[in-house]
Amino acid sequence: MHPATPPTTDAPAGRAHRTAPPRRRLLRGLLAVTVAAPLMFGAAACGDDGGAADPNAPVKLSIFWWGGDARAKLTEDALALYTKKHPNVTFEKTWQANQGYFDKLATLTAGGNPPDLFQIDDNYLAEYAARNTTLDLTSYQESGKLDTSKFPKSLWQYGVVDGKLAGLAAGENTQGLVYNKTLLTKHNLPEPTTGMSWEEHIAWAEQVTAKTKVPGTQDPSADYKALWVWLRQQGKDLYKGKELGFTAEDVTTWFDLWKGARDRKATPTADVIHEGNSSDVTKQLVVTGKSATSWVWANQMPDLKKNTKDELGVIAYPGDPSAQWARASMYWSVFKGSKNRDVAVDVINFLNNDVEAVKLLGTDRGLPSNLDLRRVVSDDTTDPAMKQSIAVEAELTQTFGESPQVPIKGHSKVKAELIKAAENAQYGRATPAEAAAQFLEACKSAIA
Amino acid sequence: MALTTAPEPTRRGPGSARAHSDRRGPGRIRHSEGLAGYVFLSPWLIGLMGVTAIPMLLSLYLSFTNYDVLTPFSEVRWVGLANYERMFTADPSYWHAVRVTVTFALIAVPLKLAAALGVALLLNRAWRGVGLFRGLFYLPSLLGGSVALAIVWVNMFNRDGAFNSLLSLFGITGKPWVNDPDWALETLMVLAIWQFGAPMVIFLAGLKQVPTELYEAASVDGAGRFRQFRNVTLPMLSPVIFFNLVLETINGFQGFTAAFVLSNGTGGPVDSTLMYTLNLYITGFTELNMGYASAMAWVFLLAIAVITAIFFSTGRFWVHYSDGEDR
Repeated sequence: MHPATPPTTDAPAGRAHRTAPPRRRLLRGLLAVTVAAPLMFGAAACGDDGGAADPNAPVKLSIFWWGGDARAKLTEDALALYTKKHPNVTFEKTWQANQGYFDKLATLTAGGNPPDLFQIDDNYLAEYAARNTTLDLTSYQESGKLDTSKFPKSLWQYGVVDGKLAGLAAGENTQGLVYNKTLLTKHNLPEPTTGMSWEEHIAWAEQVTAKTKVPGTQDPSADYKALWVWLRQQGKDLYKGKELGFTAEDVTTWFDLWKGARDRKATPTADVIHEGNSSDVTKQLVVTGKSATSWVWANQMPDLKKNTKDELGVIAYPGDPSAQWARASMYWSVFKGSKNRDVAVDVINFLNNDVEAVKLLGTDRGLPSNLDLRRVVSDDTTDPAMKQSIAVEAELTQTFGESPQVPIKGHSKVKAELIKAAENAQYGRATPAEAAAQFLEACKSAIA
Repeated sequence: MALTTAPEPTRRGPGSARAHSDRRGPGRIRHSEGLAGYVFLSPWLIGLMGVTAIPMLLSLYLSFTNYDVLTPFSEVRWVGLANYERMFTADPSYWHAVRVTVTFALIAVPLKLAAALGVALLLNRAWRGVGLFRGLFYLPSLLGGSVALAIVWVNMFNRDGAFNSLLSLFGITGKPWVNDPDWALETLMVLAIWQFGAPMVIFLAGLKQVPTELYEAASVDGAGRFRQFRNVTLPMLSPVIFFNLVLETINGFQGFTAAFVLSNGTGGPVDSTLMYTLNLYITGFTELNMGYASAMAWVFLLAIAVITAIFFSTGRFWVHYSDGEDR
């Protein structure tokens, strides 16, 4: 409060004795308070260096994540366990749905009041890291305060941005193609398998549409993660350094592939595809019954299952599964200016490496990053949907390829532009080539 | 500037003048009265300063910078007019959003006012239960820009929504309205028009002010219903029409909630519902180009000011103020 108080305490004194009109003094005081307040918060946020000297001094750590009720319950339990072991540390917990989460996080940061510890994903990690908002965890990793010795190397490396460890994987997932088992069994159709080519997948989907009247597959041409896997199978990538890792011709081929699929009725119509392009789990076509398959992340299986009565199955995306990688489904990052950064890092370490905590958290944020504990959790789990997602990831772990670089600053815009371009093609408002050219043009300004 | 000049009127106000002449120790009492004034004013003043004036001025400053939300203020870089330049020369989606917004306002606002006036005329009678109908027609606008309403709208107007079920009774196959880029904006227009309650109530109040003797005189002169409406009602109502027109135009340009909900915050399908404010929001909060978004906001403010000024300058040709008797 210091910078702000002098003017206000000054004002009453002025009222009695000074010659200057008190009204103006008061106004100036008010002005000072209003102007100083944000500055002050800003200054406070810059923080003093290092953590508390006294390890037993009481600490209130703010923590922010997105997710549903189930995740909130699990996380709160795990944090309570931490407090039990470290009674001086308590938590100020805030959580909300994914929609609007990053708006809120950005606003909190801008207001100089960001949480000490927050959940983030690869869509935004580089945005935050590039702006020096996240604490570089490398020194903690080197000193062993943040133990990643049991992590797959590619997994923690997927948190490195510009040579700094900007976030630590809170779990692992990978792309998963989820299909409606009940529907296929009912119509005596074969289940799709990992390793089918894209052509085979589309042919299979066409057959499903013909027999069941439910479109065989969601058209994933607007889905960056599907495009990404496909690009990697062509020896390309989404990003290379600060540049795009693909050309307009690549995207044209990709859009053409799916135009073919739409023409063959392997996919739903454009308006239904549009519904499925939402990232919301409850709107995925495989659970709304509007298509037989959806393109999601493997760890979303339990959530999807909650929204449908049908049995679901999950496999890798079509093509060579080695194009998929051990992706950090989300990260824990520490705000660079946090006064409690040491404690915050210790909490991350606890959430990833403490056996009880990891057991509590289960696979809600993806498979546990710690491989030893992953085994413990997969032996313990009883949820069949969770078992399925563990099984497919365990299988794919054998073939996982190198992790790509974390998507660069501007990625959120690139994602949005891909949806726009793909939908333009889907609604027939542009040819695949035109849509691809439009996409490339928009990407250039997005990542500039 | 606004900060220091705004309170001047209070100083010269009647209260302090009286204090000056009535009392012996003018200084002290004037001060304490002045202070009391500010204390009473403070909820509003703090609100104005903290929530409106200072953020506005700050955003004006930010519009000349590359502010990106996450970088601290101290590291913000001055970029001069670059943001404004980009808006006018290098950002097709900006102009797309302008087109969407102008289309929306040009169609939705006149239709909404027409609906409001039409229903107001019908309800300006002494029918039984007319109060109930007034309430019912007003109800939708009470729900205003609510998220719940927008969600209901989306569910009514998608492929298997209630509206298409209704159409199918007549053998018509509907469109996937909200998910069809050719119809999504129109669906939003219908939502806006449906909420004509607020201007309707104002029209009703205006209609009640029209002196009945004017109608009597007109009918004595042999004017029919339509002539009466054309030559009595409309001119007498013109100030109210003007008021509603200005207000609804500004509202129309600012439409955000419904577009945001309908498109999940993306302006889709294919940017068909990318209203100006939604585009601004996405630019500022999703893409974190807050400096650029601030520039958009100021251009928006100026554009609305210009449009309003145009209304006011044309108003004297068609707005009839009867209170001046011989005007």
